[in-house]
Amino acid sequence: MGLIRMRNEMTIERLREIVEAYGASPARWPEAERPAAEAMLAASAQARGLAEDAARFDALLDMAPVEAPSAALTERLMAARPRAAAPLVRPAPDLRPKAERGFFGGLVEAVWPYGSPAFPAGALAAALVMGVALGSTSGISVLDTRSSVAVTDTEAGEGLIALAMANQAWPEEWMQ
Amino acid sequence: MEQPSDDDLVAAVANGDEAACRALMDKHLMRMLALARRMLGNQADAEEVAQEVFIRVWTHADRWEPGKAQFGTWLYRVATNLCLDRLRKKRPTDDIDDMPDLASGDPGPDRQFEQRELAARVEAALQELPERQRAAIVLSHYQGLGNIEAADILGVTVEAVESLLSRARRQLRVSLATEKDELLRSKEISAS
Repeated sequence: MGLIRMRNEMTIERLREIVEAYGASPARWPEAERPAAEAMLAASAQARGLAEDAARFDALLDMAPVEAPSAALTERLMAARPRAAAPLVRPAPDLRPKAERGFFGGLVEAVWPYGSPAFPAGALAAALVMGVALGSTSGISVLDTRSSVAVTDTEAGEGLIALAMANQAWPEEWMQ
Repeated sequence: MEQPSDDDLVAAVANGDEAACRALMDKHLMRMLALARRMLGNQADAEEVAQEVFIRVWTHADRWEPGKAQFGTWLYRVATNLCLDRLRKKRPTDDIDDMPDLASGDPGPDRQFEQRELAARVEAALQELPERQRAAIVLSHYQGLGNIEAADILGVTVEAVESLLSRARRQLRVSLATEKDELLRSKEISAS
């Protein structure tokens, strides 16, 4: 086929090869040969005939259907997009004078100076519930828990799952 | 106002910028979908491929290195390879009944119906092409890419691209000889 050619070398045979491969639009023709091919098109009726035939075939090819993306596709993609990392938010400091916080407030702050004491208190309670529940179901407890634990095995199991999941924030894309 | 470049948008996507995600989809989703539709011949599969392409963009956005490659070319390469993979996996189970009917009788008097019928036959003829010829014509004719970019995406030489295109168009001309005449006739009717 002799495809590597000089920029200005163009023959009717080469133009035929070009339009038979790339169609009638010069925009799709090989860049290096485009000026010479266009010059031939302007100068030769035979060249224009080749291009006109290719243009009719291009028009037929252009009939192949396309459809716009569905709303569901764009919604799925937006739901799966990357999210900015959530900034670490420190609790606002308690700006009241120590005297106003009272004895209990001062004690709590001395023990847990990092914000709300609800978090460590909750964690402590959760650990307690887990320990009791595991002890009661595994049968290795040194205490007889049958009378002191008022929840059934099933309830205890559900409670454990709820506790384990309570602080989990799953990114949306992990759930897809 | 100057539009942000693909590289700028990808960097913003990596930072979780919702507007950048939308802008990138507005710019490229339709093209990826059209490429996949022409490669695979049905919209449902095409949407799955387009989705997979963008999921890869979302996943790899933070590792994109601006200036190292053209983002558009990378997208075309991912989409083309996903389509070729699908076609290779599908090949052994292809059922002749699933193939669109090429010669499906008279188009009927309704002009719109006639147009849809012609479109379906062009799509069916595309589906009959060998995969790499189909990929070449989709990238060159339908996506308007130059021979160098198409060769880069397909991992072949520009000479090989030209050869794939020539063979593809030759086969399509044979498959669509009747349709070409029909199209010419309908254009003559419209003009008169």
